[in-house]
Amino acid sequence: MVLLLYARGAVCLLEVDPLLGVKSAVGRCTVAHGFCFLVTILTKASRGTTIHGLYVCIAKRECSEKGRRELTDDPIKQQSLTGHLEQRRVSFSQDNRGYMDTSLAIQTIDVGRIYKLRGPKHKGDPKQVVALKDVNLEIGRGELFGLLGPNGAGKTTLIKILATLLLPTSGQAFVDGLDVTRDMYEIRRRISMVSGGETSGYGLLTVEENLWMFARFYGLDNKTARERISAMMEIVGIADRGRSKISDLSTGLRQKMNFVRGFICDPNIVFLDEPTLGLDVGAAREVRGFIKQWMHDHPDRTVLLTTHYMAEADELCDRLAIIDRGQVLACDTPENLKKRLQREAIFNLKVGPLGPKPSRESMLEAVPGVRQVTVVQKNGHTDLNLILAAEDALPGVLMHLSQRGSNLISLEKREPTLEDVFIDLVGRGLDVDTSHDADEESDEHS
Amino acid sequence: MVIAQRILDIPFVRRSNALRSFVVAAWLGWQIESNWADPFLFAIYSIARPIAGVLILVVMYSVITNGALEQPIFAYIYLGNALYMLVGQVITGVSWVVIDDREHYRTMKQLHTTPLNHYTYLLGRGVARLIIGTISVLITIGFGIVAFKLPIVPAAIDWPLFIVSTGLGVICLATMGLILGALTMMMARHFWSLGEAVAGALYLFSGAIFPLETLPNWLRPLGYIFPVTYWLEVARRSLLGPNAAGFPTLTAFSNEGLIAILSGFAVVLSISSYYFYRWALHQAMEKGLIDMETGY
Amino acid sequence: MNTAKNALISSTERVPKARGFKLFWITAWARAYPRIVGTTRERSWLFFETVLPLMGVAAYVFVYRAINAPDEYIGFVVVGGAMTAFWLNVLWSMASQLYWDKDMGNLELYVLSPGPMMAILLGMAVGGLVMTASRAAIILVAGSLIFRVSYQIASLPLLILTFGVTMAALYGMGMMFASVFLASGREAWHISNLLQEPIYLASGFYFPVKAMGFWVATFASIIPLTLGLDAMRQLLFSSDPTLGFLSVPLEIGILIFLAVFFIAGAGWMLAKLEEIGRREGRLIERRR
Repeated sequence: MVLLLYARGAVCLLEVDPLLGVKSAVGRCTVAHGFCFLVTILTKASRGTTIHGLYVCIAKRECSEKGRRELTDDPIKQQSLTGHLEQRRVSFSQDNRGYMDTSLAIQTIDVGRIYKLRGPKHKGDPKQVVALKDVNLEIGRGELFGLLGPNGAGKTTLIKILATLLLPTSGQAFVDGLDVTRDMYEIRRRISMVSGGETSGYGLLTVEENLWMFARFYGLDNKTARERISAMMEIVGIADRGRSKISDLSTGLRQKMNFVRGFICDPNIVFLDEPTLGLDVGAAREVRGFIKQWMHDHPDRTVLLTTHYMAEADELCDRLAIIDRGQVLACDTPENLKKRLQREAIFNLKVGPLGPKPSRESMLEAVPGVRQVTVVQKNGHTDLNLILAAEDALPGVLMHLSQRGSNLISLEKREPTLEDVFIDLVGRGLDVDTSHDADEESDEHS
Repeated sequence: MVIAQRILDIPFVRRSNALRSFVVAAWLGWQIESNWADPFLFAIYSIARPIAGVLILVVMYSVITNGALEQPIFAYIYLGNALYMLVGQVITGVSWVVIDDREHYRTMKQLHTTPLNHYTYLLGRGVARLIIGTISVLITIGFGIVAFKLPIVPAAIDWPLFIVSTGLGVICLATMGLILGALTMMMARHFWSLGEAVAGALYLFSGAIFPLETLPNWLRPLGYIFPVTYWLEVARRSLLGPNAAGFPTLTAFSNEGLIAILSGFAVVLSISSYYFYRWALHQAMEKGLIDMETGY
Repeated sequence: MNTAKNALISSTERVPKARGFKLFWITAWARAYPRIVGTTRERSWLFFETVLPLMGVAAYVFVYRAINAPDEYIGFVVVGGAMTAFWLNVLWSMASQLYWDKDMGNLELYVLSPGPMMAILLGMAVGGLVMTASRAAIILVAGSLIFRVSYQIASLPLLILTFGVTMAALYGMGMMFASVFLASGREAWHISNLLQEPIYLASGFYFPVKAMGFWVATFASIIPLTLGLDAMRQLLFSSDPTLGFLSVPLEIGILIFLAVFFIAGAGWMLAKLEEIGRREGRLIERRR
């Protein structure tokens, strides 16, 4: 019995999928399992681990496997079982890992991700890029959560970690109550991901065939797969292109196909990474409408959406996090985030061309009462987007502009938008690319 | 990049779209071919693969003849196989570019919206494989001289004949590669390369590893319609020098005659490849195949 | 909009999904589908994948003829040439396919899905068998007819068993190679390239592997085709058993061991290299 237990544990340890499903009184044991056991013993023995330590390790995994088998797709049952599972895991844990709040769909605890740069380097070039730093998020079940940030902020990196495509360099992340570093196979049964600008699929296959193939990877039977594909294609408006080869599709239609792929497998959690990229205004509106409707119809499902379209985030998200240079700067509902700036006054000014750039002391930012200013030079005039501490700072601004030889063309006071919130937090607009910024670690020998 | 920039700065190169396209493509091809591994692995690749290829024939020969490597037919087989590596590399190097750009890097449509001379671009992209192939050939021949005492004496090599014939041979191979590349524009990406498949087939008709006289009478004429046959013959004669007389082949052709035939092939293939490529490109554009994806 | 279809998507009833063994086979067949469909929709392979390889094999036949080799060596070349189809299938349409899939963005989706990677690779291999089997069959049949190869089959059941076990071991090994692509890019592609000719040499595709010497043949036996080809030749050309490296039963036994080892090893390597790929971010990179 002990040997068979070790064998089963060895399977869990190596996470080998059973090849032959022969059930016996002690579970599934095949020649492959026995082989894995031998490999495990040899591997562990070479590291000097004691038999006791090996048993504890296997017993931990034993809990995992049992918990995995018991879990169904029923979220209520998942929740209670996951909590039970996690408590048992913690009780066996030897390194006191964090405890996951199982009422949350997604939780990240101090997640960080560093990419090492490869390839030829010149002296002084950065050796690594810090993509994420100490990201802490809690996303409840049934929430449509947004990640807003410019290009290179770390949104896609975070999504890839949560989708089990990437390991965090530090910290922990949990999806649907499961650890992304250890329980990825179970997580993958419950999630799907749609990225903007995806070029997946096979050019020689039709749209229906590509979607059918991916549906089968999720274990859907033939009939269900075809029904759901047909329904989704009709919803997004590509039902008439089902028999077209995907290499014949335009970018927008292909993105719609990708969108369909994300929802046909009935996921608990959907990661949408800029899903409306490449879609025209009407199609993007349809997609957003579908997402809202789907969330309404499935109150226990969760969507994590990344975007750099403010209006999309404002319209869709229950809550959103503003992320820049790998760090979460703020996390709240869109309304509460905008309320931060209610105290301030926001003005759009159109002025004549500004004179030569003055000294730091003479810049617009130095005018008393100016919190943030964004300057966009256009043909023949300059657009200024001002966040002022109070309205009475405006005359000072106008005097400054006059001294710089610029005339006022138009002035408009407006309500704060998410972009204003972003500028307030970060100090620049959303369209400024941060992807080339790196946390430089200089060469010690230089 | 520095070398490419210096060449591009030469006035007549800068003024000529065809030459400019060629130089930039050669630079790009080298970046792609050389950028994939550390030098050690690249060296293993450049040495191990060609030597393994030639050793197949050496073992086959040794098993049957009990290691009679001093026989002139051995030098014939060995040299033919070594030189033939260039055939595969150049033909594949030029024809594979279409698949690389279209399906891997997805730059085909961007390239075709530039004023690039696409004909010379394809040729330029093959330069890197030509360099790699040349290194392989030299290593293999060197190995043969050292390990198997091939009767090649550097002082006895007819260098002018070798250089001229190889230059013409490379032109023929490159233009053949171009024709295959043009065909590839209208085909899907399969798991094999069209260039390699054709090079493998030409092995049979080019007299590379056995004399054409071994072929049945009805197949033999096919060997005379490929330029590779003539190039291999004249290259062997120039490398072996007087030792070539030990195993004479294509005796009806003098060296000058072979060079003339090769020159004729070079001219005909250059012209026909140009027009075939233009036709294929037109077909591909008409059918929307320039940026098609065909993986499966 | 069709309200019934809309209701299907908005229904809160969970969609039943397969697990375990059933999921494995569903995934494998789903991945085989594009391959099978691809071979029927894009038929340019019919000439290039059958006639041209036959010509390549014929070249080696004529080498033997040029040096007056015994007739059974012609048979060796024909059989070896037919088996190259399977080696190339493993190398290029299974292992290296993940390189293309990474570029296209499919690899991410494969990893993301619950379908096992081994099933996906198996599906690729099975789907590619149409082309592979055609290539092998053309070389074997046409080659045998054109070059008048005569066979003296010692035992047909044993021959089929040898072929089956060789394929199992070979495809298991191919899955192990494929795992390398989870953590590597173009380097792995060139390593696949590197494995073509050296394997032809070491495994004795065109000559009895015994000619390579005991130690080379022993080390080369790790490649399933080495012993598989050797055993098949002994069973097909039983006129001269001294050309065999080891006895047929021993070779079959070793092949069975290799099959188990490679298949189990493939599962392990796929998991480990996926972990490395996730840790270093190589699963999602599309460089070079």
